Amino acid sequence: MATPSNAVRGKAAFPLFRPAPRLVKHLLLIAFGLVMLYPLLWMVSSSFKPEELIFREPGLWPSQVTLDNYTEGWVALKHSFGYYLWNSAVITALSVVANLVACSLAAYAFARLDFPLKKVWFAVMLGSIMLPHHVTVVPQYIMFAKFEWINTIWPLVVPKFLATDAFFIFLMVQFIRTLPRELDEAAAIDGAGYWKTFFRVIIPLCMPALATTGIFTFIWTWNDFFSQNLYLTNSDNLTVPVALRQFLDSSGESSWGPMFAMSIVSLGPIFGFFLAGQKYLIRGMATTGLK
Amino acid sequence: MKRILAVALLAAAVTACGSGDDGESAGGKTKITFSYWGSDARQKLTEEAIKKFEQKNPAIDVEGDFSDWDSYYEKLATKVAAGDAPDVMTIEIRGLAEYAGRGALADLSGKVDTADLDASVLPAGQVDGKQYALPTGVNSFSLVVNKSTIEKAGQKLPDDASWTWDDFVSLAQQISEKGGGTIYGAEYNYNPAFLQIFAAQRGEKLYDNGKIGVSAQTVKDWWAVIHKLIETKGAPDAAKMAEVGTKVDQALLATNTGAMGLWWSNQLGALTKGSGQELDLMRVPKAQGATTSGMFLQPAMHYAISAKTEHSAEAQKFIDFMLNDPEAGAIVLSDRGLPINSKVLAAIKDKLPPADQKVLAFMDSVKSELVPTVVPPKGAMQMEDILKRNSEEVMFGKTTPDAGAQKFLQEANAALAG
Amino acid sequence: MTTDSVAVEPRAAQLRPPAHRREKKQPWKRREARTAYVFLAPWFLGLFAITIGPILASLYLSFTEYNLLEDPKWVGWANYAEMFTEDDRFLTSLKVTTIYVVVSVPMQLAFALALALALDRGLCGLPIYRSIYYLPSLLGGSVAISILWRKIFGTDGLVNSVLAIFGIQGPGWVTDPDTALGTLILLHVWTFGAPMVIFLAGLRQIPQSYYEAAAVDGAGRFRQFRSITLPLLTPIIFFNLVLEVIKSFQSFTQSFIVSNGTGGPVDSTLFYTLYLYLKGFKSFEMGYAAAMAWVLLVIIAGLTGVNFLMSKYWVFYGDTK
Repeated sequence: MATPSNAVRGKAAFPLFRPAPRLVKHLLLIAFGLVMLYPLLWMVSSSFKPEELIFREPGLWPSQVTLDNYTEGWVALKHSFGYYLWNSAVITALSVVANLVACSLAAYAFARLDFPLKKVWFAVMLGSIMLPHHVTVVPQYIMFAKFEWINTIWPLVVPKFLATDAFFIFLMVQFIRTLPRELDEAAAIDGAGYWKTFFRVIIPLCMPALATTGIFTFIWTWNDFFSQNLYLTNSDNLTVPVALRQFLDSSGESSWGPMFAMSIVSLGPIFGFFLAGQKYLIRGMATTGLK
Repeated sequence: MKRILAVALLAAAVTACGSGDDGESAGGKTKITFSYWGSDARQKLTEEAIKKFEQKNPAIDVEGDFSDWDSYYEKLATKVAAGDAPDVMTIEIRGLAEYAGRGALADLSGKVDTADLDASVLPAGQVDGKQYALPTGVNSFSLVVNKSTIEKAGQKLPDDASWTWDDFVSLAQQISEKGGGTIYGAEYNYNPAFLQIFAAQRGEKLYDNGKIGVSAQTVKDWWAVIHKLIETKGAPDAAKMAEVGTKVDQALLATNTGAMGLWWSNQLGALTKGSGQELDLMRVPKAQGATTSGMFLQPAMHYAISAKTEHSAEAQKFIDFMLNDPEAGAIVLSDRGLPINSKVLAAIKDKLPPADQKVLAFMDSVKSELVPTVVPPKGAMQMEDILKRNSEEVMFGKTTPDAGAQKFLQEANAALAG
Repeated sequence: MTTDSVAVEPRAAQLRPPAHRREKKQPWKRREARTAYVFLAPWFLGLFAITIGPILASLYLSFTEYNLLEDPKWVGWANYAEMFTEDDRFLTSLKVTTIYVVVSVPMQLAFALALALALDRGLCGLPIYRSIYYLPSLLGGSVAISILWRKIFGTDGLVNSVLAIFGIQGPGWVTDPDTALGTLILLHVWTFGAPMVIFLAGLRQIPQSYYEAAAVDGAGRFRQFRSITLPLLTPIIFFNLVLEVIKSFQSFTQSFIVSNGTGGPVDSTLFYTLYLYLKGFKSFEMGYAAAMAWVLLVIIAGLTGVNFLMSKYWVFYGDTK
C-alpha cells in the first residue's frame, strides 16, 4: 500500500532521472514488444520460406527466401484470395455499421432513460451472452433455414442490425455512464429532446466507445470462423477465415506456407482498420473537453 | 450519409453473395449439394470433377459444400438436425453406424452400379445388411520407413514378413543410439487402427458385437511395446510425441528426425513431400507366433446419400460418376484412397504420382493378407479420443497400466453403448 | 440477478416530484418510457425474433436426450443428475475452467491496465507501440496459433532455448499435462489487446481539466492516478471484469486449437465449453450439452450478480455523483 507520503517522496526523486526514464521506457517497450511479437515474426519468416523447409528449419531466419507461398496461396483455392477478402469485407462493413447504430441506440436507453422493467431487460440483455453458443446453434440454424437464409449473408448481418451483440450494448452503457449528467441537463435546458441529446451530446462524447465498438466488430467479424463456415457453404460465398482453414488438412497434407502467407495478407485489413480507428479511440472527452 | 453507405453496402452484398439460391435453379436444372472435407488441393480436384460431371449431365448442378475436417462433423450434424442435409455427403467409416443407424442415410443397394467395385470392400459400407455408403477408395495402416536413415545408422532393413515387435523395438533403439540425439528410431501414436492390428495378431477383434473385443491384457501389452520404445529411447517420450502430434507435416518422418512410423498408406505422399527423401511402406511387425499380420483394408471415406433428399436419382448419378467413371478417376486419382473400381484403377495407374505408385505396389503385394474391415458400431467416433486420453495417462505416469486398461475398456464400452 | 447499479438513480432529484407521487404517471415520465422503447426497438425485435427462441429451445433440450439425428426424448432432470453424480470429466472440466478463469482474468486485466497507462500519453511513437501490442490479439483465434504456440513453448521452442542458456532443460510445456494449462493462461494474457483498447478508450473519457485542476492543487502523478484516474476508470474496469469473466468461462477456441480439439494432454486443458462441444457434436448427446450450458449460465449469472452487488462499493459513475 503506497501512502501519500510515499508518493510525495517518489515525486521528489523523479527529476534526478528525468532524461533517462524516457530512453529506458522506450527500450523496455521495444524489448517487450519483440517478445510479444515473436510468434508473429516467426509466422512472417515462415511465409517467406520454401514450404518444405518450414518445419525442417524451425529458426527465425530463413536460409532461402521465396515469394512462392504468396503467389501460390493467392490462387490456390477455387477463387483468387482477393475474392474471399471482398466477401469478408462486405460482411464486416455491414456488421460494423449495424453494431454502431443498433447498440448505441439501445445503450442510450439503458444508460440514461427510465422505463418499466428496466432491470429485468438489462439482466436479459446480459444473460443473452452467457449461454455458450454451441447449444443454440442447432435451433438457430433451424430457424434461419426456415427463413431460407442459408447461403446468404442475412444470418450474419441481420442479427447485428437488431443489436444482438449485447457485449457492445453493455460496453456503451458503461461509457455513457462515465459522462456527467450535467451535460444532458444542460442540453435539456437548451431545449434539446432525447434524440437531439443523443446525437449532439452523447454520440460525439462517446467517440472512444464507438471506435472500440467499430474496431472490435471489425476484428471479430473478420475472424469469425464458426458462423460463417456454417451459414455460407457455397464455395462462391466463402469468407477469409473459412478459406484459410482450407489450407489445412488434419489427416493429410496441409499447405502451411500458403496458409501463413494468406494469414498475413488477411491481417492487413484488420490492422489497417485498427490504425485508422485508433485516431478516434483517443479523441474522447480528453481532447474535446467539456463544452 | 450513414444510410447511403448502408444501402451501397447492401447492394454490394447482394452482388457478392447472391449465388446462394437453392432448389431448382434457373434453366430447369436440378441442384444437388455435395459435402466433403479436406485441403485446398482436394477442393481443386473436386471442383474440377464436378465441372466434368456437369458437362456430362447438363441438367444437374452440383454445389460443393467444403469444410475443413475439424468442423466437418459439427456442420454436418447441424444440417442433418435441421433437415437441411446435403444430398450427397462424404462420411468417414467411424461415423457411418451413427448416421445410418439413426435413419439419416438412404439405402444404396442396387441404386449405384457396383459391378466393377472391389467386392471385398463393399461390406465396409454396410450396416444391418444394407449398403448405406460406398467406399471412395482404400488404405491400409502400415509401417512407413526411411531406408537411408536406417542404413546410415548401420542397420539393415528387417524381413517384414517375419519380424516381431521385439525386433522393431530393438531396431528403433539401435537407430536412436547412432542418431546422436537428433534422430529417433521410431515414432508411435495411439490410433485405434494400431491397437486393432495388434489385437488381431492375437486373434482379438477391436469391436465385437457392439462391444470392445480387446482384452485388458492386450491393451496392456500394447502399451508395453510403446513403453519399451520410450524406455530404450527408441522413440520420443510422451510429451515430445504429443507435441509432434498426428499431423503428417510435423511427423518425425516428414522432418527427417525419425526412421519408422505407423501411418495410413495414403499418407506416404505427404510424408515423402515433407521429408524430401525416399520413404517406403512395410508390413507392421507381428506378435510372437502370430499367424496373421492383422493388417486390414480400410475405406478412406464413403459417399452416402441423405435419406431426405428430393433428388436421389441425381445424387446416385453423381456417386456413380465419382466411383465408376474413368474421367472422374483421372481427375481425383488417389486423393480419396486408391480407387476400388478395377477399371478406373487400371486406367489411371500410370498417372499416379510416384509415392502412390509405391502404395499401389505395396497394397498389391500384401493384398492376400489384408482382411476387409467391418463398420465400427455407434459411438466409435469417440474411440480415438478415449484411447488417446487413456494411453497418455499411462505414458505420462498418471495411472498404472492395470488401472488404465480397465478405465479404457469401461469408457470405450460406455461410449459404444451410447 | 440484481442489476441495481445500472438502474438510473433518480437523477437530479430536485427536478423530480417526490417519490410518493411518482406512482401517478407523470406525462413526462411516460414520454421518457416511450422514447426508451423506441431506442430499444431494434434490440427488442432482435431479442424476440432471433435471440430468445434458440435460448428457450436449448432449455427444453436440456431436459431431453437428443442425438441430433432423431427427435428429442424427454428425460426430465436426468442430464443434470448425471453431470454431478456420474461424470468425472464434467468435474474435471469445471475445475480446469475455474483455475483458468481465476488465474488468467486478473493477470490479463492487470497487464492490460498497466500497458494502457504506459501507452496512454507522454511518449513519442505511442500509436506505433499501441498497434504493435495489439497485434497478438488479432491472431487470438487463428489456426496458426497452434503452431506458433508450439514454437514458443515446445521442447525446442523459444522458452526452452532461453532456459538452455542457464543450463536448464525445460519440458515440452504445451504437451506436458502439468504445464499445458499454464501455457493457455499465458496465451490468454498474451492477447490482452481487447481490454487494453477498452482501457485506453476509458482513459480518454477522463476530462483533462480534472488533471489540470489537480496539478494546480499540487497533487503528484501518483496522487492524480489514485484520486482521478482510478476512480473515474472504475466503470470501465468493472466492464472489463464482468466481460472477461463471462468470456473466459466460455473459452473454447484456444484449447480447441492448441489441443487439437481433445482437451489433452490427459484432459489438462479440457475447458467447460470444449467438453460441452465434444458431448454435443462428437458423442451426439446434445441434450446433455444443453444441460451443461444451462449449468454454466447459472454459474456465470451468479458470478455476474455478485460482481454487480460488489460494484456498489467500488464503481463510481459520472451520472450518479
